Order: sequence, then C-alpha cells, then structure tokens
Amino acid sequence: MRARLFLLPLAVISPAYATTYLSLAQAQALMFPHTLLTPDFITLSDAQVGAVEKIAGSRVINREVRVWRAADGGWFITDGVFGKHELIGYAVALDAKGTIKQVEILDYRESYGGEVRMPAWRRQFVGKDDHSSLTLDDDIRNISGATLSCTHLTEGIKRLMAIYATVLAPQPG
Amino acid sequence: MTDPQTDSTMIRPSLRRLLQAAGLGTALLATIPALAAEPAAGTPASEQQTEQKIKALEQQLDALKAQVQQIQSAPAPAPAPPSPLENISFWGYGEAYYTHPVHDGSRSQADLARAVFGIGYSFGPHTRFNSEYEVEHAISSADDPGEFEVEQFYINQDLTRWASMNVGLFLIPSGLLNQHHEPTNFYGVQRNFVETLIIPSTWREGGVSFQGDTDIGLSWNLGVTTGLSFAGWDYAPEFPQYSTALDLENSGAAPMQASHQELALANAQHLSQFVALNYNGIPGFNVGASIFTGEAEKVPAPPASDYPGNQRVTLWEAHTRWQPGRFDLSALYARGTISNTAAPNSQNPGTPNPIPSLFYGYYAQAAYTAWQHAGQRIAPFVRWELYDMGARYAGASPTLPSGDVPLSETPGDVGPYPIARDHVWTYGVNYYLTPNVVLKADYQNFSVNRQFTRVDLGLGLNF
Amino acid sequence: MTLSPAASLGEALFHDTSLSASGQQSCGTCHVASRAFAADDGRAVPLGGPNMDLPGLRNAPSLMYSSYTPAFKLVGGTPTGGFFRDGRASSLAVQAEQPLITPFEMANADAAEVVQRLKAGPNLAQFESVYGSEILNDPDKTLTAIGRAIAAYETESPEFHPFSSKYDSWAAGRATLSPQEMHGLALFNNPNKGNCTACHVSKVQGASQHALFTDFTYDNIGVPRNWDIAANHPNPVSDVDGVPLTYVPRQTNLPGGSEYAYYDLGLCGPLGPAANDPHPRTDFSTVTSLCGVFKVPTLRDIALTSPYFHNGVFKSLREVVEWYVTRDINNNPANNPVPEFNPYDPVGSFYHAIDGTPDPYQYNDLPVDYNANVNIFEVPYTPPVAQGGQAPTLDSAEIDDVVAFLCTLTDGYDPDHPAAYDASLPSQCPQSTATPAP
Repeated sequence: MRARLFLLPLAVISPAYATTYLSLAQAQALMFPHTLLTPDFITLSDAQVGAVEKIAGSRVINREVRVWRAADGGWFITDGVFGKHELIGYAVALDAKGTIKQVEILDYRESYGGEVRMPAWRRQFVGKDDHSSLTLDDDIRNISGATLSCTHLTEGIKRLMAIYATVLAPQPG
Repeated sequence: MTDPQTDSTMIRPSLRRLLQAAGLGTALLATIPALAAEPAAGTPASEQQTEQKIKALEQQLDALKAQVQQIQSAPAPAPAPPSPLENISFWGYGEAYYTHPVHDGSRSQADLARAVFGIGYSFGPHTRFNSEYEVEHAISSADDPGEFEVEQFYINQDLTRWASMNVGLFLIPSGLLNQHHEPTNFYGVQRNFVETLIIPSTWREGGVSFQGDTDIGLSWNLGVTTGLSFAGWDYAPEFPQYSTALDLENSGAAPMQASHQELALANAQHLSQFVALNYNGIPGFNVGASIFTGEAEKVPAPPASDYPGNQRVTLWEAHTRWQPGRFDLSALYARGTISNTAAPNSQNPGTPNPIPSLFYGYYAQAAYTAWQHAGQRIAPFVRWELYDMGARYAGASPTLPSGDVPLSETPGDVGPYPIARDHVWTYGVNYYLTPNVVLKADYQNFSVNRQFTRVDLGLGLNF
Repeated sequence: MTLSPAASLGEALFHDTSLSASGQQSCGTCHVASRAFAADDGRAVPLGGPNMDLPGLRNAPSLMYSSYTPAFKLVGGTPTGGFFRDGRASSLAVQAEQPLITPFEMANADAAEVVQRLKAGPNLAQFESVYGSEILNDPDKTLTAIGRAIAAYETESPEFHPFSSKYDSWAAGRATLSPQEMHGLALFNNPNKGNCTACHVSKVQGASQHALFTDFTYDNIGVPRNWDIAANHPNPVSDVDGVPLTYVPRQTNLPGGSEYAYYDLGLCGPLGPAANDPHPRTDFSTVTSLCGVFKVPTLRDIALTSPYFHNGVFKSLREVVEWYVTRDINNNPANNPVPEFNPYDPVGSFYHAIDGTPDPYQYNDLPVDYNANVNIFEVPYTPPVAQGGQAPTLDSAEIDDVVAFLCTLTDGYDPDHPAAYDASLPSQCPQSTATPAP
C-alpha cells in the first residue's frame, strides 16, 4: 500500500448543522434574562447619519437600526457587518448608562476568522462606552488570522455606540 | 436549545428573509400602541383589570409568535425564484512592486506581481464555495513571464457549530501568512523570505481538511492532501535560478517551491497529512504550530536499482504574534526535512542544485502604529530573518562556481552564483490609506548575497 | 526476448543488401552493431549509390537509443526531438524508409523499385507473412511497411537499448566508478567546468527511467567545416572515382557574402522533410536564427562512434572536449596556458581552410551572417570571467577525466567481469586499473 496514512486520527464528526450560533430570541434571553424588551426600531435621519459617521469614522450603510429598549433601561441592538465577504450577525447589550454589557455573535458564515466568536475576544468590549476609543490594535486587540472579522466587528460596534450617543442616549440640554 | 434555523432574520439580506423581518417588525410594532395606550389614557384601573389585560396581551403575543413562526416555516407565498446573484460573492486583491537592487540599478524591476479575483457561492447556510484566481506578472501567455493560476477552489461545509470541512484545492495552514497572504496582511513590500522559501507561498494542495475552533480559543485544522514531487527536480539548471531578491521570490527555486504540485495533474500516488493548532484565547496574542508530512513522488531512478524508498517531506513550524496596543510583534521558525536524498544526489555529483535534506529559517518582526486617523495608519517595522534552503545535504553537496558566471543568455550578463542562505534585515513602513489599501516601502540588507540588497516600493489592496 | 513478427522482419530487412541498387548495402552496412550502430568505415561520411562510390552528406549516426527520441515539436518555441540529425523525419519508421530511396545511399529511384527488389530478395515470404501479399500492389504502402518493420526492430530489440553500461551498473548500485571516472562525471555536471549536462542530461529522465544524456533540443555550436566531406568542396566530386556529385543541394537562400556554395545548416536546410512523410515537420528554411542548429545526440556508447559531430570533423573524444573548452579562447599561443590544444596547426585554431591554413573565419561551417547563431553564452564556451576569460574551463588532466567518464557510457558491462569490459573498450578509453598490464 503506497498511500500510507499516519498522523491523522480521523475524528468522526456528527453532522449537526449550525452556523447560526444564537437565534434572536436566544440572544435576548441570554443578554437580558427575565427582562421585557420592547422593539424601538429607528431610522436615522440625514443629520443623524452625518453625526454618527463623524463620531464613528466609518460609513453608515443601513439607516435602519434594530433596537430594543429593555425594561431596566438598557438597550439590545442587532447589526450585521461583512467579515470578508459574508455577513456576520451580532448583538450588543448596553446597560442603562450606555456601557457595553455583552457582545454575542449570532451568525457567522466565513470560512476563516471564526475566532471572533471566542468569549475572550468579545469580552474586550465589556465596560466600553461611547467615550471609548473602540479601535482595533488600540483598546481592542486583534486576532491573528481574523483581522478582517475583528476590524469590521470593532467598526460596527463603534458605530452602534455612535448611534447610541447620537440618538438613544439622553441628549444634553 | 431551539432550532438554530429560526430567528436569524436580521442577518441574511436575502429578499425572503427581509420580508420575514418586516413581517415580524410590523407585527410587534402593532402591539406597542396597545401597551402604551393604557397609561396614556390616565384611567385608573384595578389590579385585576390590569392583570387581565396583561394576560390578554400575552395571549395576543403568543398568537403573534405562532404567526411569526408560521411565516418563517411556511414557504413564502408565490415565491420569486431566488436570484443566483444573491448567493455570489466577489472579492479580490493585488499588489505591484518596484524593486531596485542598490548595487546594480540595471536589475531594477517593476512588476504587477499579482492580481487575484475571488468568487464565492453560497449553496445554502452550511455549504459554501470559495475560489481564487491569480494572474501573476500582468500578462500570461507563452511569450511572457506571467502565469494564470487557480489558487483556491474548494467547498467549505459546516459539520457542527464549531467544525467544518474543506474539500478541493485549499491553502495549507502553515505559518502566519500562507492562509492570509493578502498584501494588507503583511509588513514589507514582499512577503518575508522564511514564509516564501521555507514555507512555500502561496502553498495549496488538493484534498480534504477538517477545522474548527473552541470556546477557549484553540483552533485546530487537520487534513489529507496531495503532496510533493521530485520527478522534475532540476539538479543542473542551465543558469543560476535567480540573480536578484525579486527573482529569488519568484523563481520557485526553494526546495518546496520546486516540488509542490499545485494540483496541476498532480501525482497523487502518495498522500500527505497535516495538523495545525493555534491558540487565540488571549485577544491580541496568538501562538501556533503546524506539521505537514508526506511521501513525495520520488526522483526518477533506474529500474531495479537498490535505491531506498521515496523521499518524505516533513515541514513543521511554530509561530507567535503579539499585538499589545500599537505594537505588532511576531516571530516564526520553520524547518523542513527531506529523506532519502543521498542516493539520487550521489548520482548527480558536481551539480549546483542537489536536493537538500534540511532547510530552515526564522524571523522576528516588530511593527509600531506611529500614527492613525480615520482609517489611515502608518506603521514602520523592522524584521530580522535567516533562511537556509540547503542547510544539510546527503550524497553530494552543491558544486557552485566561484567568481562570476553567466546569469542568462544575454551576453555580458554575469554575476556571482547565488548562495542558498542569507541573513536579511528589513526596515520599512506600511502606510494604510484605508485598512484595505496600503502603500509600502522598505530597504532590505542581505549579508551573504550582498548583491541582493535593495529598496522596494509597493502598492497592495484587498477588498 | 522474442521479437514481434514485424520486428523480426525488420531485423532481416535491416541486413538485407538486396534492397539496394548496388546489391551491397543495407542499413547494417553503415550502422554496425559492434560500433553502437554507427559506421565502422572511419570515414566522415559513408559511401553509397549504385556503384558504392558516392559519399554522403553527413556522418552516419549511432542508432542506439533512437527509439527514445520524441517526435519533433516546438516546446515553448524550442525545437525538440524528431529523427535524423535535423529532426526532419516525423518518426523512426519514416526515417528508416529514406536511405532506401536516397540516390547516394541505397539508391532506389522510388518505392516501386524497392518493391521490385523486395520481391526478388530473400525476405519476400517473411514480409508477406506479416503484411500479406496484397500490399505489394501499392509501392508506397509497401515502403511504409518496410519502414515500420525496421522501426519495430530498432524499438523492440534490446540490442538498441540495453542500458548495460558501467555507468548504469553504478547508477543501480552494482558497480563503482573509478576516482577518475567519478571526477569526470562531476566535471561533466559542474556548471562551471564541463557543464555538459546542460544538454546531455545526466539525470534520470521521465519514462525511460534512465539518464539519456540528451535533452533532444537543438544547438548551434559552430563546429569546424570538415574538408574530408566531398560536398564541402567547390565543384564536389567523389573522392573514390572523381564522379561529380550532382546530388549536393544547391542552396539559393544563402546570405550574401557566403564563402561557399554549400553549407549544411541542419534544421534550416538544405535537407527537409521527405515527400512521403505523412506528418512533415515545420519548414524552418527561412528561419535564419535556426540555421546551423543540429539535434543534441545521446552520449551513450559515444566512445564507439568516432568520428564525431554531424560532419565527423573530430576523430577522438579528447579532441572534441579540447575543442569545446578552447573554442572561444583567444588562439594566440601566448594566451593559451595549455599548449597541447593545438592539434591542427601551430596558431592554435581548430578552424582551418581547405588548404589547411588557419581560417580567418572562426565558425567556418556557417555563412558569416549566421555566426551570431552560435551558442557562446554557456560554459564551457564561455570561459570563466573570473579567470580573465582566457583559461579553458577544463585543464588537460580534467579533459582526460571527462573522457574516462564518457567511456563508462559504453554498453556491455558485466559487474562480474569488469576486466573483460575494460579490455573491450576502444583504444581512446583509458585502460582501467582492473586490466592487468601486459
């Protein structure tokens, strides 16, 4: 036998499909347990888009923002960003002061870069708010080999925080 | 756990799902005025009444939920056939260089080194196709130096939440660059030498791989692929295979560049295996290692000769990258061995290019983001590397001419025969106009092949 | 090994002199088994024709390993393969037909004359048993069949490709090469010394599973004109009886200023594909950059096939190697550190005019306009720049070593009887230490 195989203990892998890691309901239950979430979807005005883009330093593609207001004063927001060429769905939970409580990946379809799903990476956002830099390689660390996913998710979350600051947060004056 | 298929409504921008999302949104929005109406009316109500109303609302909500689920599970009424375009993704990257050997300006070259386009197709939520096609050196024809290559062509199939399978032609998970070789991902105009000459770039094989990652940050990847071939090994090239650093990267002279098959009617009598592990559990820090081994198609031997068996090629590497704040530090060591080279080498004495039994290299690199603003970024870097494409030989050592030799058929094109090892210092800067467009400049100092010392300028982009 | 019926017929036809106009010539006349199927007459070109008085145009090549030659094709623009020294025959079979109908060889006027002789000769029955008798009504098909039978013999019979040289035994690990032979091989391969392997590839190649010592490409190496070839003289006549050689091609496409009326320019002519070749190769008669290129021959059994090159200009391997390494060295004796490189004349040139004096034109077997076609870019033609471009890449002892190695390519080595092999080698090979002194 010429084609000798070694080094490869072929694992038997059961085909239990899933690239959707959390459904919307699961994410909501996980991030705001036993808390009533009220949809408060918003559409950004031209002025708001301008303000958000200025703060976030990236373009707003979708003016529709899927926001839920939590009974405890917090916020639940979902969004999608492109990894390399597939959308990554994610959800961000804010507490009543607008501080990030949690980030969850809902849906990931890229062949590479799935490491952004790791809790350790997502935990970096916890405690950040709209005054945080939220910049990769600054206050958010990169994952080698998943740079695009890290970059775009960080950008996305920064944009959501800019939307929070512009629209959702109690406006000064 | 509920069916993961449901409620991913916000994510895929497909028409059907958008419709569903709109349906859900509208349904939920419809309940809001009902909730808000009570306190707004200002009518005092007994607790009982309130409870009843809440119960009624809950029932309403349940009904709505059921409705929503129905909408989601039932096929859309009069479904428009989904456009195939919706499932196609298209991307690309490319790079162009200018290289100027400082000791011999006549060998300066400018090259559109590669233009790559990628096409992906999503066959469903769990089955994707990815492919990349590369035109090297701008023009590919019989009279030009260019090549047209299929760089990747595989199906990626999800198996579990954390594992998937690739089938086809895919990149071998070796080192820091091979799977992430787009020009925006590395410092310096060209890829480092260790990950070009010791780990071949862009190294792909045909086969099957399984990969996945875990919550603690450990990713794994293992596979069975086609392997290497020494059937066409050139012991005595007519001229030195390279005479500049740019040539060196492009010539395919390195041991595994010269023997990888790129799935071009590849000999598949012998299969190779690989395993790669990476730990990314601490953000900004990566450590990983991989090993690839397999029997290669052997150097042709006379029949009935008492040669030992086929050459076995084993390449292992370990790497780490740490990105504390504005710093980006990385290091890599790679080492390859080829067995059973003594017999074929001893049959070819006096040649400049016997097959090495050991080749290795390592580098350490530090980059620092000196300035960044609105997506622009300037990152100077320094890299020290060592490569030795022929650290050990069995059977026969290379016989290299001393002094100047003809380097090509061009009269007067003479120079020293290049040496297969070097220490290289690279100083340079990456200037990102956006995270996806980079201008690069570097200076590379070679201490063995001094004639290779050069200044490079480059443009890279990736979308 | 038993030959197929066609190959057995081919063997008979190969030695069948009755097929020639003279009745004295067969393939085997100029391709002698004991001389690696090259000629043993010592002549630059063989004699033939109805009266065996007509000298040919090229040296009779060895037929050894010719069945490994690929069909002619352009590989990335590089001419490769094909049969005859200029690749003008598309197959071994088409090649084998040609001497039968060449006026200065077996000299049949046409295929019909060949059929007549076949019918009258000793091999008719065997021919009919293989191809039937019907075919004899069609002379062209009969000639094709004869060519195929001979090609089958050359392909099937191990006589033509025994791979039984001392080198082969060594490559298979069943013999050792002497230090001199090993040194010769290393020099043969060394890109700064012999660099012979650049064309005469010494590594195992593809399907043959052996080193074939040729890459089947073409090169113009500027060999000297050989005045021993009658066709090279003005108003050529037979050197046997003075008969005018009317078959020497009259070239009308030579560049102005050409010294002579006839040049053998290999791939670009004057010989071209035969009229009966079903797959004639590309016509290169107007591709002047290919004028003067000839196919790289195998070096297997090379010690047996003197004289050397397409025109048989050199008698010994030592001369050939000397010429290679000194060809482009300034021939002034003051600049020549190895004075014995002067076999022809005191001025130190291998190139001489018809009267034996040094020829002012170096590459005198090419029209001056085609001198630029000569390969001057590779070692060993290009003397090492480091040595001032004056010293040959091999010294006298190293030339001996290379010749000693070339002798190991002679077939017929029996690892159990090395002394018998050494004794059988031609005199130009060094007598091995294994041979007891007389």
